[in-house]
Amino acid sequence: MADYEPVLLKNISLEGSTDLKVYESAGGYAAARKALKMTPDEVTEIVKEANLRGRGGAGFPAGVKWGFLPKDREVTYLCVNADESEPPTFSNRVLMEKDPHQLIEGTIIAAFATQAQKAFIYMRVEFHEPFHVMQNAIDQAYAAGYLGKNIFGSGFELDVFIHRGAGAYVCGEETGLIESLEGKRGCPRIKPPFPAVEGLFHKPTVVNNVETLCNVPHIIERGAAWFKSIGAEGSEGPKLFCASGPVNRPGCFEGPMTITCRELIEGDGYGRGMRSGKEVKAVLPGGISMGVLTADELNMVMDFDDPRNFGLLGLGTAAAVIIDQQQDIRKVLANITRFYSHESCGQCTQCREGTSWMDKIATRIADGVGRTEDLDLIVDVTKNMGMMPGLSICGLSDGAAFPIRTIVQKFRGEFEAYIAEQPPTSTLRVLSTFN
Amino acid sequence: MPKITIDEQEIEFAAGIPVLQAALDAGLDIPHYCYHPGLTVVASCRLCLMEMKMPHPKSGELGWAPKLFPSCQTPARDGMVVRFNSETVVTGRERCMEYFLLNHPLDCPVCDQAGECSLQDYSYKFGKPESRMVDPKLVMPKKDIGPQTLLYSDRCVMCTRCVRFTKEVSGTSELCITNRGTNSEIDVFPGKPLDNPIQGNVVDLCPVGALLDKDFLFKQRVWFLQSAPSICPGCSAGCAIRVDANDDIVYRLKPRFNPGVNDWWMCDEGRFGWKYALSDERITTPRLRRGSSTKTPKWEDVSEILQYRFSQHVDEHGSGGMVVVLSPMMSCEEAWLLLSFMLKVGPNVTAVIGPILSVGEDQAFPAGSTGDETKFIIRSEKAPNRRGLEMIIDQAGCETLSFDEFVESVGDGEVSAAWIVGGYPEKTWVPKALEKAVGKLELLVAQDLFETKLTAAAAVTLPACAFTERAGCFVNHAGLIQPFESAVAPPNGCHRDGQYLYELAGYQGLYTPDRVRELMAATMSQFADVREAAPAPVHLH
Amino acid sequence: MAWETIDRNKPVTAKEAAPLLTEAIKDKIRVFFDRYETKRAVLLPALHITQEALGHVGPQAMEEIAELLEIAPSEVFDTIGFYTHYWTHPKGEKVVVACRSISCQVMGGDEVLEACKKHLGIEDHGTTSDGKYSLMTEECLAGCDHAPCLLINEKLHEKVKPEDVATLLEDANNDKIEMPRSDLYDGPPGGSVDSDSKAADAPAGE
Ligand SMILES: Cc1cc2nc3c(=O)[nH]c(=O)nc-3n(C[C@H](O)[C@H](O)[C@H](O)COP(=O)(O)O)c2cc1C
Ligand code: SF4
Ligand code: SF4
Ligand code: FES
Ligand code: FES
Repeated sequence: MADYEPVLLKNISLEGSTDLKVYESAGGYAAARKALKMTPDEVTEIVKEANLRGRGGAGFPAGVKWGFLPKDREVTYLCVNADESEPPTFSNRVLMEKDPHQLIEGTIIAAFATQAQKAFIYMRVEFHEPFHVMQNAIDQAYAAGYLGKNIFGSGFELDVFIHRGAGAYVCGEETGLIESLEGKRGCPRIKPPFPAVEGLFHKPTVVNNVETLCNVPHIIERGAAWFKSIGAEGSEGPKLFCASGPVNRPGCFEGPMTITCRELIEGDGYGRGMRSGKEVKAVLPGGISMGVLTADELNMVMDFDDPRNFGLLGLGTAAAVIIDQQQDIRKVLANITRFYSHESCGQCTQCREGTSWMDKIATRIADGVGRTEDLDLIVDVTKNMGMMPGLSICGLSDGAAFPIRTIVQKFRGEFEAYIAEQPPTSTLRVLSTFN
Repeated sequence: MPKITIDEQEIEFAAGIPVLQAALDAGLDIPHYCYHPGLTVVASCRLCLMEMKMPHPKSGELGWAPKLFPSCQTPARDGMVVRFNSETVVTGRERCMEYFLLNHPLDCPVCDQAGECSLQDYSYKFGKPESRMVDPKLVMPKKDIGPQTLLYSDRCVMCTRCVRFTKEVSGTSELCITNRGTNSEIDVFPGKPLDNPIQGNVVDLCPVGALLDKDFLFKQRVWFLQSAPSICPGCSAGCAIRVDANDDIVYRLKPRFNPGVNDWWMCDEGRFGWKYALSDERITTPRLRRGSSTKTPKWEDVSEILQYRFSQHVDEHGSGGMVVVLSPMMSCEEAWLLLSFMLKVGPNVTAVIGPILSVGEDQAFPAGSTGDETKFIIRSEKAPNRRGLEMIIDQAGCETLSFDEFVESVGDGEVSAAWIVGGYPEKTWVPKALEKAVGKLELLVAQDLFETKLTAAAAVTLPACAFTERAGCFVNHAGLIQPFESAVAPPNGCHRDGQYLYELAGYQGLYTPDRVRELMAATMSQFADVREAAPAPVHLH
Repeated sequence: MAWETIDRNKPVTAKEAAPLLTEAIKDKIRVFFDRYETKRAVLLPALHITQEALGHVGPQAMEEIAELLEIAPSEVFDTIGFYTHYWTHPKGEKVVVACRSISCQVMGGDEVLEACKKHLGIEDHGTTSDGKYSLMTEECLAGCDHAPCLLINEKLHEKVKPEDVATLLEDANNDKIEMPRSDLYDGPPGGSVDSDSKAADAPAGE
């Protein structure tokens, strides 16, 4: 992809990229000025036409979402989802830390299209530097008259506030986010009603991911056709990918959604291959929640559709962690089960009990006290949770089920080998100590 | 009426309810925890899941959607087709039941809820006999969360009914959830215990043995209890309740579903305020007095004695100075029988309604709510049957006095004979002025639960029974006539008020409220068809 | 097993205790009232501000926040327990947050955590006896490109090696970030407006 011209990350290596003047001299805020001369519906139409699919994980087209807002609404809220807590995802952090005005501009345009007069950037609390960078950029934008009343002389008015989270992954789920914004525990709400109809403070609300909104100014400036010329049908536009683990150049990269997982790991514009002495054992390519790929499955295309062909939930956050051969797959599994057990909000029985049960089992297996039937048991538990089969309220439990199930299924041989090596007394120990 | 097909069965339902409620109304046993018709829907326990037919997104053809839906959150619609009996639903449910028991201590042998626990019932009916978990259970604390209530977190299924109750119904918000995920617990803010006038309902709402009533703790296995439908006499609201007793001992009161009156709830005053009935200071036998000597007559002679005393009095003084004080604690039947008797012996008898304690204002929950927002009201009028007495006295057309006027008249010597009924839980109900003036009465009959200055002075003292021992009907503040049954026998040696008044009024045989209401209905048609409050739906634990 | 019951009837805060939330703290919280439709929505900011000022948010502070936001103390209690960042008991001056998620684990995070525990002599959620440090683990800090990560108060330390931990924890400035900052939640007000501390060294798409 030598000829890929970065869009979202084009400013980040500029000196002082977080500064308003630098952003403007690179052409910033032209799109917002342009959009505010159109009608909100025209803006929505262009975004719909571009088929900008949400970058937060679910891939829902942003323009369509905006179109769900009831016509007769009086107050609308825009929530910018900057909770970014999916391991190992950090692209929103890069966007906010390096190019805050791009997000502000996207927010202005989205708010205008949805006629929201207040936007809340819900940011995870561990983001300290991004918080200060964003807040400074917001202050600059206010000072320049780009936020507040009568923006660009259009009469449009918008306030943007950062709302800091307090440590809960599930607050990234859009209705968990809304509950948390309202000062409550971040337990996702049952849907319907969807936020577009009844969201923050019971008002129509749009929740969009940081990266989704960062795409908006470019769509307005360069048009839907340009946007669709990047990538492939159904997966259009520029996309950020993350790579972490023992690759030569871990980081956040931009490219079209036509690259494969292998390219993300090995490509010159991406991870530049494994560190010496390291070989790929497994990759969790879409954040941990989408599931795992084996070293033989790296030809998966990083788009919205192909992951399903590999038994994965979807593209997710397009953030890959590469697990090398030296890693003990039992520890990888236990790390992931612990994550979901720790982060489940606890409303839904299947998620609350299922995630903690799986964590007990996986931890026991990692401690060398596993049983072969535990592997079937874990898979069975994963099949009894999730929003997609209707068993839970939010997608966290699907996100738990997929990686855990695919790891156990795709690496079953390895687990069985470990279990076979355990001293024969260890399984007896399970039954004697625990019962 | 709209119809829905559930498990191949066509069922009519009341518009505007969720599928789950339609199924429950039709008598189907669909397991559920978080849903309660009196609370908001959270659809979080995920036990009530069903399959639903939907048009295929492409072909438009109707078929089973490839996922489950919470029946509590899905509104029933005319023509809808759903099922709870498919393989997917059944195994899903089985798993869910297994999850509920993963960390449960299985201490049912010492649990008060055992026998009326939906965790037991559902596990038996919808679960599997064994758990597949070999790992250690999470141990949760026991908490004393309020003056009346304990929480055994171990047994909690996190349905959050209790939390929603204190938010949405009592409006007091004492209960909350702490921590998250599998460590979530129900709790109160330390030092701000669950303590509001209707808090006892959380124990009823709790589908398992997590919330426990200290008053009932370890008192009885519930399968020994027999229930009688009753009406709480604590105030004029007329909450439908159930009196649970074993071996003629009452152990607890529980609310019965009574739409538009108390719905599913009752207040703590009513719930715990019946203990006076157990007092050993109760009057249990009739008593005659001449001067300072007293004598206990045989029950079979009581009618005749009273008849004689009043006839003699009327012969001597006429019936102009004769008064009957009917207590608002009496049932309509009892009041009607007594008034009938009095009118027969003294056609000019004056009827008086006994004192009615009024405490503050009506108390609405949540506090400050009005109209539809109000979920429950405790009435300020602390008596169950003022309206009933008014109806009966009105119909009889006799002279009336207010109670205060009556007390004054006694003081002025204008009353020569009186039958005064008490029956109040408080022994102190007799006003000082009446105590002082009581000597001026030529003839006094006092009917009461406990000894007072009146019973001490009375020529004839009669025992009154507690409401748990009586049967009849009360008319609540809004004019609703509600029947109640007796749950236990009166104390040894004591006869029910209804029975001796029935005989006194000239009827033979066993007193039954039905029989008396039939008689009353001849002049008061309202009493022709008095029915139970809606029977509690089977599914409500 | 012993039949132990936690008694929730006993007050845990003294009735006449001097208020913990000063007017200055309250004013800082009140700034947020205008942003939201309800006062309850100010709860997360209020807890951050209070924790910043008092070190932790104990029961008395919760009650005072509840009063300020016109909600029940139980509602503060309910919310606070959901989030991992709030401390309801005293913590150290600096909180060392070790990432324990997958990328950090793969890159040696476990060893870094061990080194922290050893150097500080405390376990997860412990506090050193001199009150300088508390230690906790957290899920992914979104710094996986520089795994393994340690967050010390505001400062994210990247690519931490176990052998560097001792020096890092001895550094008095290990929790400071130097950059233009906002004083809305934390830290000193003011700061210069035009310096941007971080060089643009992250890899970009090419
Ligand atoms: C458990 C869970 C966590 C999530 N976390 C995030 C997150 O941190 N950031 C995000 O943008 N979306 C997250 N999402 C997705 C959001 O629910 C929502 O789909 C998204 O914010 C919508 O924005 P988009 O349409 O622009 O992608 C999460 C979803 C789930 C189920
Ligand atoms: S699926 Fe899990 S995280 Fe999502 S709402 Fe249910 S319990 Fe909470
Ligand atoms: S204590 Fe009872 S009512 Fe409350 S959440 Fe637990 S199970 Fe439900
Ligand atoms: S009863 Fe329907 S989900 Fe709990
Ligand atoms: S896994 Fe440690 S920062 Fe992401």
